[in-house]
Amino acid sequence: MPNPATKKEIFFTGLWKDNPVLRQVLGICSTLAVTNLMVNTLVMDAGLIFTVCMSSLTVSLLRKVTPVRIRMMVQTLIIASYVIIVDIMIKAYLPDISEALGPYVALIITNCIIMGRCEAFARHNPPAASFIDGLGMSLGYSLVLIAIAFIREPLGFGTLLGLRIMPGGFVHWTVMIMAPGAFFTLGIMVWILKYFRPQTGEEKG
Amino acid sequence: MKKHILSVLYMFFITLFFASLVSAVKLLNERKIELNQTLKLQRTILQVLQIPTGAQITQEDLSRIFKDRIKEIDVENKIMYVGYEEDGKTIQGYALPVGGPGFWGPIYGMVGISPDATRVLGIAFIKHSETPGLGGRITESWFTDQFKDLPLHPIEGDQNIFYLKPEGTGKTANELDAITGATNTSSAVETFLNQELDNFLRELWGQIEGTK
Repeated sequence: MPNPATKKEIFFTGLWKDNPVLRQVLGICSTLAVTNLMVNTLVMDAGLIFTVCMSSLTVSLLRKVTPVRIRMMVQTLIIASYVIIVDIMIKAYLPDISEALGPYVALIITNCIIMGRCEAFARHNPPAASFIDGLGMSLGYSLVLIAIAFIREPLGFGTLLGLRIMPGGFVHWTVMIMAPGAFFTLGIMVWILKYFRPQTGEEKG
Repeated sequence: MKKHILSVLYMFFITLFFASLVSAVKLLNERKIELNQTLKLQRTILQVLQIPTGAQITQEDLSRIFKDRIKEIDVENKIMYVGYEEDGKTIQGYALPVGGPGFWGPIYGMVGISPDATRVLGIAFIKHSETPGLGGRITESWFTDQFKDLPLHPIEGDQNIFYLKPEGTGKTANELDAITGATNTSSAVETFLNQELDNFLRELWGQIEGTK
């Protein structure tokens, strides 16, 4: 990817134009998994923002010295290190959340957005731009997750951030708690987006 | 050839660097994580024995109450906890660590049992890897509160101690609500908890009564 003009452009490309979830359809596994509760969603977002930004920054800093042939190993190492650090921090300072999220924090390692950004952007671009690219992409991911959680938690549990918001007689949509609810919500979101703003330029296969 | 050696060296040093970084973070936080786990265990034991701690209790107070009121005992190589009432003599109940396979991984919990072993005082789950928001809801109070005052009796024939039924369909005191959307976790909990309680009544309870 050639260097796009300004940092502001890089940021908004990730946040909206090439949104990782809605446009690139990356990181779907965690999108489906954690969005039935807003609290879990927010912690997942925070973890991902940290990991993407730091991994992109580090990969970019090392871009001139890392041998091309072993770059994937190096990227995996960097990503895994940051994710383990996030996991330890959450265990130490937010033990309750750590239990609620269980294995999902460690699974941030496998989120394709992180390696995708390292591979596609950070290894060809300077550190500041890479950091901003990571920030835009991870915030774009976060926004979509929050939007999905905003639909799933009220419909599935009748609550938002654990507070009851639906009227007493409301029948919970159990399907919204489960993975299919996330598929439906995400699918409808992508559909609406495509309808109102068809992809311009060349479609990537 | 030289290029290859450089790559290997590079990988070696960068791995060394990141491994050290992770180890340092781990070492710095290890004590805090251990403390969290100890406090969690102590809090859980007090909670299942229905010993009130108050929501805003400090770590020191929690550990002090635990020291005053709880004694660890070893019954046939199984660690259990005896809870005493405020006078320090009358037994308030027994806390039995339980565990078994869940849907994704092992589930560990604690059951509080009344001094005469006729009913459950309370139950809590400490560690599990069930799906957050689905099976993971076993830790929520609406689920665990149902076990309060559950009558206990050794399993006779096919009569389990308790059953988990679809939400709202339970008719008797031992038919509790399962978790909607988490059938596998619910039936796993039903299976191992029935076994553990039955085992306690048959194997361990006699020992405890004998030493009293």
